[in-house]
Amino acid sequence: MTGININKNSVILAVLVVLLLLLPMVVTKPYYLHVIIICLLWAYLASCWNIIGGFAGQLSLGHGIYTAIGAYITVILFNTFGLSPWLGLFVGGGAAILLSLMIGYPTFGLRGAYYALATVAISEGIVVLLNNTGSIGRFTVGGAEGLIVKSVGSSAAAFQFNSKIPYYYIVLIMLFLIIFIAKWIKESKLGYYLVALREDEDAAAAMGINVRHNKLIAGAISAFFTALGGVFYAMLIRYLEPNAIAGASMSTQMVFLAIVGGSGTVLGPVIGGILLALISEIIRFYLGGQLMGLHLFIYGMIVLLMIIYQPRGIIELFEKIGRRFSRKHNDEGGRSGAEDPSGA
Amino acid sequence: MGFLSVVANGLSMGAIYGLIALGLTLIFGIMKIINFAQGALLMLSMMISYWLWAATGLSPYVLIIIVAPIMFVVGYLCERVLIKPVLDAQKDVREPVSVLLLTAALAIVLENLALMVFGADYVMAKTSFSDVTLAFGPVTVSAARFYGLIIALVVAGLFYLFLMYSQTGRNLRATGQDRNAASLMGIDITRTYAIAFGIGTALLSVAAVALIPFYYIHPSVGQVFMTKAFIVVVLGGLGSVPGALLGGIIIGLIESIAAQYMTATLTVILVYAVFLLVLFTKPSGIFGSPYEW
Repeated sequence: MTGININKNSVILAVLVVLLLLLPMVVTKPYYLHVIIICLLWAYLASCWNIIGGFAGQLSLGHGIYTAIGAYITVILFNTFGLSPWLGLFVGGGAAILLSLMIGYPTFGLRGAYYALATVAISEGIVVLLNNTGSIGRFTVGGAEGLIVKSVGSSAAAFQFNSKIPYYYIVLIMLFLIIFIAKWIKESKLGYYLVALREDEDAAAAMGINVRHNKLIAGAISAFFTALGGVFYAMLIRYLEPNAIAGASMSTQMVFLAIVGGSGTVLGPVIGGILLALISEIIRFYLGGQLMGLHLFIYGMIVLLMIIYQPRGIIELFEKIGRRFSRKHNDEGGRSGAEDPSGA
Repeated sequence: MGFLSVVANGLSMGAIYGLIALGLTLIFGIMKIINFAQGALLMLSMMISYWLWAATGLSPYVLIIIVAPIMFVVGYLCERVLIKPVLDAQKDVREPVSVLLLTAALAIVLENLALMVFGADYVMAKTSFSDVTLAFGPVTVSAARFYGLIIALVVAGLFYLFLMYSQTGRNLRATGQDRNAASLMGIDITRTYAIAFGIGTALLSVAAVALIPFYYIHPSVGQVFMTKAFIVVVLGGLGSVPGALLGGIIIGLIESIAAQYMTATLTVILVYAVFLLVLFTKPSGIFGSPYEW
């Protein structure tokens, strides 16, 4: 790794950040901005899942329950007491942490598949509960008809804006935050523990790592930030429907995006999230109104082919290109052997 | 409906759940893969069976002879064409997560393909015995459900004998216990995996023909059964053959008995509650050992 290389990367990064910050000036149509916001939200959610699913290798297939619990608690508190969603999101996030500990404690002691199956069953159960709970006491949950966020017009304190632009910047900050946290975890002691227990749980335990404890921490971090994603979704769409926010499509989508992008890496889920969500929106836009099921069929085929031909994720392609580029660059400069430092 | 009739209905539905879970637990026991396409493949079997029934007019049960080999080939090819390349690429990974996602993607593809080809309509095979009720003393049970129960039990029994006493069955079990040791004993692992997936899928065709005379078919019918199958395998013990059947029957009984005393929603919640209870108290299930694999 050379000084020149680091500078080159930070220049690329800086340019990228500036471009992202200026984007709403170029993209003025609300629909296009909405699509971009959704893509960034998926990148964010895939990154949240990646902390437990990628770093720790614990396959959670029910992360929709965390988006749901964050969204529902925040919205219910806002609708009933007028509590600002900015404060409510901490309550929702805290509840998500509690839920993740309740699910994780009994299942993390077992082999991975039990955790995966338990998360599926629990999330299906919660979807049924949400669909059939009209209200709890004075709190309106909405049941199958869904829950509408009380509209107060454009108000920053209430997390409601008429323009899409504030949402864009909020989701951008959330995405940067989760990338920063993922990078921090990966380079911290916790990150090394997680990789160790992902690769070989028995060996990790033999080395003195408290396997269950570290899984629970990773699960709680992941749950908290996933819940924040749910809150953002709720305030963006302003309508909660149990199947959409907690259902299997929400849960599996996060996993698809992270794995197709490259699970266990910092930037893989971000790339996978943005690319795949964009592809999905484009297909839906052009084919959605035509033959029923066609756009999801194509989407499924893309995921299928990507898993078969690029099982380590799209990030590997990027790394390869990056390596080739830097090798060429170094050969020209008379140096060789420098690894690509951006390899997230 | 008398209590015994309720029990009989629960038994019949439970045995079919067990049959679906059997395929899931077999594939898991041998390949260590949770097959998320199990529900979609069940849907496919039901569609094929319905089609053949509508075209030929034969009794759905006779169609097993045609549908089971078709589904075996479908499963075999799925393993060879889709799963094997990914498994090979991830040889060094302990739990092949990508394969699991692959099966989930396959489920999306199959369900939407069915939606494109068949549309979202609900169909059912109205056979001559679809509305017939059989009476055994005080016990009354619908004929279709009763035949379904018999078929499920017979096939589960035959499958158990096959697994225990045939050479292929021994190969399957050996591969499930220790892939490397089995390979050293001269078992062709690649072939065994494909056979396991094929049989796991063929078992679904039996569940499908048992279901179509009394259960509506639509593109997402598999999802209902798949979640149930997941609960059943955890209840019975992941990888355990008797556990799958017993777990299925327990869930079937809970559903039908509870439905007499509470609303449909509460019944569903109760099933999840029982699942959670087992998970918290004996997480490895009734027959399973968490350290087998």
